[in-house]
Amino acid sequence: MKVLLKALGGIVVFTLAFSCIAQAADRPLRTTWAWPTYIDPAVGSDNSSTNALGNMYDTLVVPDKTGAPQPHLATSWNVSKDGKAWTFKLRRDVKFHNGDPLTSSDVKFSMDRMLTIGEGFAHLFSGKVDAVEAPDTSTVIFKLKDPFGPFLSTLFRLYVVNQKQVMANVITPGPYGDKGDFGKKWLVSHTAASGPYKLKEFKVEERLVMSLNTDYWQTLDPLVPDEYTMLGTTEAITVRTLMSRGELEVADRWQSNESLNALSRIKGVGLAKINGPGQFYAMIHTKKPPTDDIHFRKAMAYAMDYDTVTTHLFPGTTQAKGPIPRMMPGFDDSVFQYRRDLDKARAELEKSRYYSALDKNPVVIHWIAEVPDEEKVALLFMSNMAEIGINVDVVKVPWMSVVEETAAMDTSPHIVTIFDEAHYPEAAALLQSRYASPSANTWEQNEWLLDSTYDTMLEEALKTMDRESRFKQYAELQHYIVEQCPTLFMFDVMSRHAYRSDIMDWPAARGEVPPVQGYELLGRYIKIRK
Amino acid sequence: MKFTVLQAGRVLFWIHRKTKEGPAEQPCSARNSMRLVRFLAKRLMHAAFVLIGLSILIFLIARVMPGNPARMAMGPRAPQWAIEKLEKQMYLDRPLPIQYFYWFKSAISGDFGDSLVTKRSVSEDIIEYFPASLELAIYAAVFMGIAGVVLGTVSGWFANTWIDNLVRVIAYIGIVTPSFVFAIFFVLIFSYWLELFPTIGRLSSGIDGPPVITGMVTLDALITGNPAAFWDGLKHIFLPAVSLAMGPMAQEARITRSSLADNAGKDFIAAERACGIPERTIMFKYLLKPSLIPTISIYGLDFASLMGNAFLIELIFNWPGLSRYGMNAILQKDLNAVIAAIMVFGVVFVIVNIAIDLAVERLDPRIRFRTGG
Amino acid sequence: MAVTRILTTGTAPNRGENARRNWYRFSRNPLSIIGLTMVILILILAVAAPIIAPHPPSAGKFLNFSMASRAPSAENWCGTDVFGRDILTRVLYGFRFSLMMVVVVLSLVVPVGVFFGLLAGYYRSTWIDTGIMRITDIFVSIPPLVLALAICAVLTPGVFNAMVAVSLMWWPWYTRMVYGVASSLRGEFFVQAAELTGAGKWHILFKEILPNCLSSILTKMSLDAGWVILIGASLSFVGLGAQAPTPDLGSMVAEGSKYLPDQWWISVFPAFGIMLVVLAFNLLGDGIRDMFGTERG
Repeated sequence: MKVLLKALGGIVVFTLAFSCIAQAADRPLRTTWAWPTYIDPAVGSDNSSTNALGNMYDTLVVPDKTGAPQPHLATSWNVSKDGKAWTFKLRRDVKFHNGDPLTSSDVKFSMDRMLTIGEGFAHLFSGKVDAVEAPDTSTVIFKLKDPFGPFLSTLFRLYVVNQKQVMANVITPGPYGDKGDFGKKWLVSHTAASGPYKLKEFKVEERLVMSLNTDYWQTLDPLVPDEYTMLGTTEAITVRTLMSRGELEVADRWQSNESLNALSRIKGVGLAKINGPGQFYAMIHTKKPPTDDIHFRKAMAYAMDYDTVTTHLFPGTTQAKGPIPRMMPGFDDSVFQYRRDLDKARAELEKSRYYSALDKNPVVIHWIAEVPDEEKVALLFMSNMAEIGINVDVVKVPWMSVVEETAAMDTSPHIVTIFDEAHYPEAAALLQSRYASPSANTWEQNEWLLDSTYDTMLEEALKTMDRESRFKQYAELQHYIVEQCPTLFMFDVMSRHAYRSDIMDWPAARGEVPPVQGYELLGRYIKIRK
Repeated sequence: MKFTVLQAGRVLFWIHRKTKEGPAEQPCSARNSMRLVRFLAKRLMHAAFVLIGLSILIFLIARVMPGNPARMAMGPRAPQWAIEKLEKQMYLDRPLPIQYFYWFKSAISGDFGDSLVTKRSVSEDIIEYFPASLELAIYAAVFMGIAGVVLGTVSGWFANTWIDNLVRVIAYIGIVTPSFVFAIFFVLIFSYWLELFPTIGRLSSGIDGPPVITGMVTLDALITGNPAAFWDGLKHIFLPAVSLAMGPMAQEARITRSSLADNAGKDFIAAERACGIPERTIMFKYLLKPSLIPTISIYGLDFASLMGNAFLIELIFNWPGLSRYGMNAILQKDLNAVIAAIMVFGVVFVIVNIAIDLAVERLDPRIRFRTGG
Repeated sequence: MAVTRILTTGTAPNRGENARRNWYRFSRNPLSIIGLTMVILILILAVAAPIIAPHPPSAGKFLNFSMASRAPSAENWCGTDVFGRDILTRVLYGFRFSLMMVVVVLSLVVPVGVFFGLLAGYYRSTWIDTGIMRITDIFVSIPPLVLALAICAVLTPGVFNAMVAVSLMWWPWYTRMVYGVASSLRGEFFVQAAELTGAGKWHILFKEILPNCLSSILTKMSLDAGWVILIGASLSFVGLGAQAPTPDLGSMVAEGSKYLPDQWWISVFPAFGIMLVVLAFNLLGDGIRDMFGTERG
């Protein structure tokens, strides 16, 4: 017995003595994220996926600080007079990580692959891109079905994959005919990329490690991170422990106020507030009683306490004005903004046809389990609505379940609160993904607006090549939406990250960030000083 | 009333076992091994039956879930033709028994379909995650076995002293505290305040993992002679294993203690004491061995609760094991993964039960291999 | 009939003496008394929560951000959470849900489990026995929490569904226990006597065999109460149990753990709440086991 105890004691002492043996990269950048992260360019489209893709893959054009497209893989481009053919000239010195040269056929392959698979960002191009041609190795032509004004901006989402490498790893038979599975299985945990970071280690649901591509065709600052780690956890205590032990440089954007306060008290840690190209929406089902009644919706919009949201729940944010965030090109400042006014709320409620049976018509609000602060908004909504007599049931729902339930009209809840961001920097991105009929069966639209007038107006706007007149039409669309009150426009997205301000130079923390999702944490723009 | 009490006692102490003792006969080794073979054959057949039943149960549960698995697999914006094609491929357009038949056919060959979340085949996921869970369970089981027996024995040795009472208090705390509470507070104390242990994963990011042989990091590190990785792996596994083992450990301690107390009152101990055999010898040579039988019997059940609680522990420690995988699959309605993960737990549980039965037989010659239940 | 009655109850002492003897056995261990007192106390606290609790609105649709995250004080003995709700109040109401869970689960599980156990035990070695016991084999072949989680995932998360899920995986344990007792009793003299006197099957099952299983059922029930609460807490910890703003101890710990270590009171007090109520039932269960003379474990 004594021997055993001694042995146990020995183990403990040994643990104490050797508690820290760590050998790391010179300039590591370690970050935490909400998982899952999909690194297949034809599959991933959420925040963590776009960050991983943007670090490892190259695109034809990249956005500058204002969101305007700048040359990247493409050195120049022009568009035909009818707006239907875009011709790009490519760089000739770009090599994939495996040494293959990047050519126009890879670009064509990437677009074809995305359109065939139909997941991820494919919705930006499907129905618009008719064909892609590669007349020579450094020229690529996109033929569009109709003129599409913001086309250049959508190309931020065309990540170029290595055709040869992908096709060598195709599994047949698969769901895509002679292309088998189109390399989908393989690309789950491998890359065929040319970007500034190479995939080093990928543990599904645990971590993604990327190392600097020293042969990158573009000259990078010598201080950019040489190893970039994405950890799949947002657990507050874990993040905090990692940060306080100097094992984390940037914390995820999903930390609660309390957690952020605690994190920023750690030595060397600062708080970055980054405006994002999105908004926090409470999406109201417009086809399900009782929220199918516009007066009922207006009553809710008047009863909501926006000030508490922007001061207590998400301090530092600004109440949104209409469906488009302020930083987004094409935002219109003249739309109506609801303020809390209980008298007006009651007056609207009296006009609604459910007024006499409020207790029989409870409103169900779903909030996303992965984002703890959303619960506060849901509970605030519940207590605000109780003041005017509307019964609210609050339900916590995992993200994947939200994706599933919003796919059908009858399973969609009355209200679901979601952070949604634009996929390309122009108001049209959100006007389309949020309210156009084709997106009704996705998580990006719980409203089920299904309004053909709106759809036609939007189509017309998108066909307009002239930026100014296009933006005018965006303004009309924003007014049109606000009149229907299909959404409680909560606040413009501002992600708050605790980060090591003592060793990091992070442009996004200074406000230098393009209004494009997934660009705030790209390694090539960040410098680490040791 | 007498028989009720006796029977209830037996049943509580090992629910799996139906007591029907055959006439005692002196074993000869040939007959014994024959009996062993017959016992194993019978148990394996029974196990197969249980597992098939379990698969039907889980399959039904999974198929009752709302939502179209094909659409969920293809993503919300997938074209209709691709979804229909996948539906055909997954036999979703056929009646349930036929769906089950096809599922069973491919499951036998190790194909459980693709996971919605990881986008890989489920068997690939399981091969990656299971060793981590097994490693965690083994460390936890070792800890719970050793610590439980030691505490129980100490408590029995110093019966009715303050040490005994202290152990009893510890045991009660272990039993009444949910494992996730242990986990949260261990992280807080040992990782955050004392900075003794890492909080997440199986290895620190600076350490190069050993090549995957068994998939168990510490074992692989030992095999390949990589002490740094072994040590790092050990540090990572310590807190999750201990938080996992606390509850069952308390159970083991209590059972060992009470069974020691029971046996101490038996005639053969009194006889030995009368013969002047030293207390220490009585304790470790004659008393401990028979007293461990109920402990070991309960070990199997505790192993089950261990695997169940691992769901929460792996979530808290971000331990990339099968329980966390199954938990995420459940939360995200990843049907193929749910079915497969639960089946793996079923298989492990059945195997552990057979092993425990064999172990009990070794320790207690009175218990013959029973072929029932 | 009279013969069998005497045989079932043994030497047929008068009721008063029986109760006294039981109480003596129960109270021999002071821990049992403590357990009983705690259970009664928690019952009173839970039932009278609307009267006793310092701030009853905290248990419902209430928010007050000006009071958010206050440390324990004379005003709020256990502090307030991030919504400004009084934690003591929510813990007291949390007891209600824990106890309700125990009552609902056990009242669903025990009758079903016991019924099948009696049936299988009495018809031992027939197809009824085989059928029932093989089904229980399947249920007990995976950890209870795992199955409960899977069932919860199918149903929409909520208190009631969590109870259904726990019940679905719990009944086989009662079946197996009662089966063990019933199948051994089947051959006993008093059962055969009842059969000879022409008693009906149901009479034998419920009037002759069942009373002899009662002590083990009661012991198991009191010990299970703690387990049911623990499993329920685990379910709500991962968000499959009670939904906000329902005060539930498990989800309170889960939510509060995000604010550790600074706002420790948000998670620590609900955790204590769980431990307290589980401990109470465990001590009581041990006492009941002592009372019936079952060996201690």
